[in-house]
Amino acid sequence: MNLGVESPWLLTALPLALLPLVGKGMREHAHPGLMLLPPDPLSGLLDWLIRLFAMLAMAGLVLGMAGLHRRGQSVERIGHGAEIVLLLDRSNSMDNSFAGRAPNGNEGEESKSAAARRLLTDFVNRREHDLIGVAEYSTAPLFVMPMTENKEAVKAAIAATATPALAYTHVSKGLGMALSFFERPIVSGSRLIVLVSDGAAAIDPDSEQKLRQWFKEKQVRLYWLFLRTANSPGIYDQPADPRDDNAQAMPERYLHQFFTSLNIPYQAYQAESPDAMKQAIADISRLENLPIHYFERIPRQDLSGLCYRASFILLLLLLALKGAEVKTEAKP
Amino acid sequence: MMNFSWKDYRTVCLLLAVLAMGVLFARPAEEQERPVYNLTFIVDITRSMNAADSTQDGRAVSRLEFVKRNLRDLLVKLPCQSRVGLGLFTERRSTLLFEPIEVCGSYAEIDAAIAQIDWRMAWAADSNIAQGLMNTLEMLQHRDGSVVFITDGHEAPPPNPRYRPDFSALKGKVKGIIVGVGGLTAVPIPKFDSRGEPAGYYTADDVPHRSSFGESNLDPSQIEGYNARNAPFGSAKVTGSEHLSALHETYLEELALAAGLRYARLSDAEALAEAVQRPEFALTKKVAGDVRRQPALFALLMTVIVYWPFGLRRLKNALLSIRRKVVGYAARTL
Repeated sequence: MNLGVESPWLLTALPLALLPLVGKGMREHAHPGLMLLPPDPLSGLLDWLIRLFAMLAMAGLVLGMAGLHRRGQSVERIGHGAEIVLLLDRSNSMDNSFAGRAPNGNEGEESKSAAARRLLTDFVNRREHDLIGVAEYSTAPLFVMPMTENKEAVKAAIAATATPALAYTHVSKGLGMALSFFERPIVSGSRLIVLVSDGAAAIDPDSEQKLRQWFKEKQVRLYWLFLRTANSPGIYDQPADPRDDNAQAMPERYLHQFFTSLNIPYQAYQAESPDAMKQAIADISRLENLPIHYFERIPRQDLSGLCYRASFILLLLLLALKGAEVKTEAKP
Repeated sequence: MMNFSWKDYRTVCLLLAVLAMGVLFARPAEEQERPVYNLTFIVDITRSMNAADSTQDGRAVSRLEFVKRNLRDLLVKLPCQSRVGLGLFTERRSTLLFEPIEVCGSYAEIDAAIAQIDWRMAWAADSNIAQGLMNTLEMLQHRDGSVVFITDGHEAPPPNPRYRPDFSALKGKVKGIIVGVGGLTAVPIPKFDSRGEPAGYYTADDVPHRSSFGESNLDPSQIEGYNARNAPFGSAKVTGSEHLSALHETYLEELALAAGLRYARLSDAEALAEAVQRPEFALTKKVAGDVRRQPALFALLMTVIVYWPFGLRRLKNALLSIRRKVVGYAARTL
C-alpha cells in the first residue's frame, strides 16, 4: 500500500481517537440492582464495540481532513508501441509551402511546418502507449523534450514549432542528438527516429563514422519524412550532369544513400503534399506496433471521501445507539 | 423503539456531528480563485553565459549553470495549474522549445528540458540582446502570460546606440521581467574549440570591441581619421575590455523600462520565485477548493465532546457519586 497524506501535521489530532478508551460516551446510571447482576460478557463486548465504532469514526475524520490518498504509481504493462524520437527540421525553408512559396493564406495553402505540426499532433494523439521524445535541429541541435509518455508535453513541443524557424540545416548533429535519447539498452518494442525535414545537408566524414556506429549499437529504425518542395531535387533523382553527382550539389540523394548504407531498417517517404505526408505517417503508425513494456501512470487516488463516508455511517450508528440508551427522565 | 433524550448533551452533539457530515457531503467543494502563472522562460545561451562568476554550493559555476539550477528549483515553488514554457535566446532572436505546459503534471519533462540547456544549442554566435528581446516580445505578444527573459546583458559586438530598436510599439503588450545574471566585476569568458573542449579564455584580440555597422553615433569631427565612405568609424585601433564580461545591469534596466518590463537580479530561487509571482503576472483561475475540512472538524469536535472524559460535568458526576456513596455509608453507619 502506497498511502500518503497531504497535511501530515493534522495527524497529530489522531490521538483524539483514543478518547473512547477512557470516556464511555454515555450517561451512567447508578442503580442498586446492577450490583446484583453477574458480569455479562456480551454486554462488555457490546460496550467495547461501540467504543471501537467511535474510535474509528474519529480516526476517519482526522484522516479525511489530513487528506489520505494512495500515491500515484506506475504499473508495468505490455502493449503495442514504440520509443519514438521526433527529429524536426527548424530551418527557414520549413516555413514555406510545399510549392516553395511563403503561404499567403487565402488559397488555403499550408506551410510545410504547419502541415507537419498538424499531422504530427494527430500522430501523437493516436500513439497511446508510445514513449515520445522531441529534438530539433537547425545549425545546432536543440534538446526539446525528453522521452516521455506525457502526450500534452509532446504536443506543446510540437506546437512551439509554430514560432519562426531558425537558421540552416545541420542534419548530422541533429541525428546525433536524437540518438542520444536512447541511452538504456533496448528491452522491448522498437525504437525509431522520425526525421521530418525538407532538405538535407552533407554529412561530414567525422560524424558519418559516429552515426554509423550509434545507429548499429542502439538498434534504431529510421523513418525519413522528406517534405519535398516543388521543383527541388528529390531523394531519388539522378543528377542530369555527372559533375553534379556529389554530396554538396545533391545532399538529399546522398543523405538517402547514406541512410540506406547504414544497414538498419530504414524507410524514406518523399511527400510533396500534406496528403502524401498524412499517408506516410499513417504508414509508420501501422508498422510500428511491436509489443512493448511500458509503464502506465496511475494517478494518485484520493481516499478522504472514503474516510468521510465511513465516519458518517459510524456516527449515524452511534446516534441510533444513543436512542437505545436507558432514559431516566420522566416521559411526557 | 428509539427514544432520544435531548436533555443529554451527548445526543445533541452526535446529532450535530451527523448534520455536519450531511453538510460535508452536500457541499464538498467551493469555487475559489487562486493565482496561477503562465510563464515563458527565455534563457540567454550566448558565450558570455559561460563566464563562471556565480557560486553554488561553494564552487564557481557558469552563469548558465546557475540559471538552470535556479529555474529547476523555481518549478517546485510555482502553484499547480501554473504553466511553464521554455525558449532560448542567442544571436538576435529567440526560439520557443515548447509552449507553456502545466507545471505539476509535466514537472519531470520541464525539469529535464531545463537540465539539457546548453550553450552548444546556439544556432549563431552573435549576441544582440535588444534585438533578441524585441524579437521575443513580437513572438509572444498575442499570448496571455508573462515572459521571463534571463540574460547577463553582455552583447557581442557592443551595439551602436544609434541603432537601438524602438520598443514603443510593443510597450505594454507583453508583461514580463528581465532577470539579470552574473557578477558586477568583469570576468574572462571561457573559450571552446570546435570539438567543444575548453580552450582557455577569450583575449582582447579575439573579440570586436565595437560595432562597425552603419554610421557612428559620434560627431564626425570627433572621430580620428574619419572618412564618410571608407572609414565612418575612423582609423584608430579600437581597444576595450569586451573580452571580459560582467552583468550590465543599468543597460538591462533601461531595456526593461523601454519595453515596459520589470527588472530583477537573480540571486537565488527564493527571490526568483518572488520576482516572477508578482500580482500583475497572476492569472486568476477558478479552482474547486476542497471545503470538507470545516464540517469534518466540527463533527470531530462534537464527537470529542461526547467522549471527553475529563469534563466538568463528569467531574460533577464523579463528585456526586462520591457524595452519594459517602452519604450512603454515613447513613448506614450512623
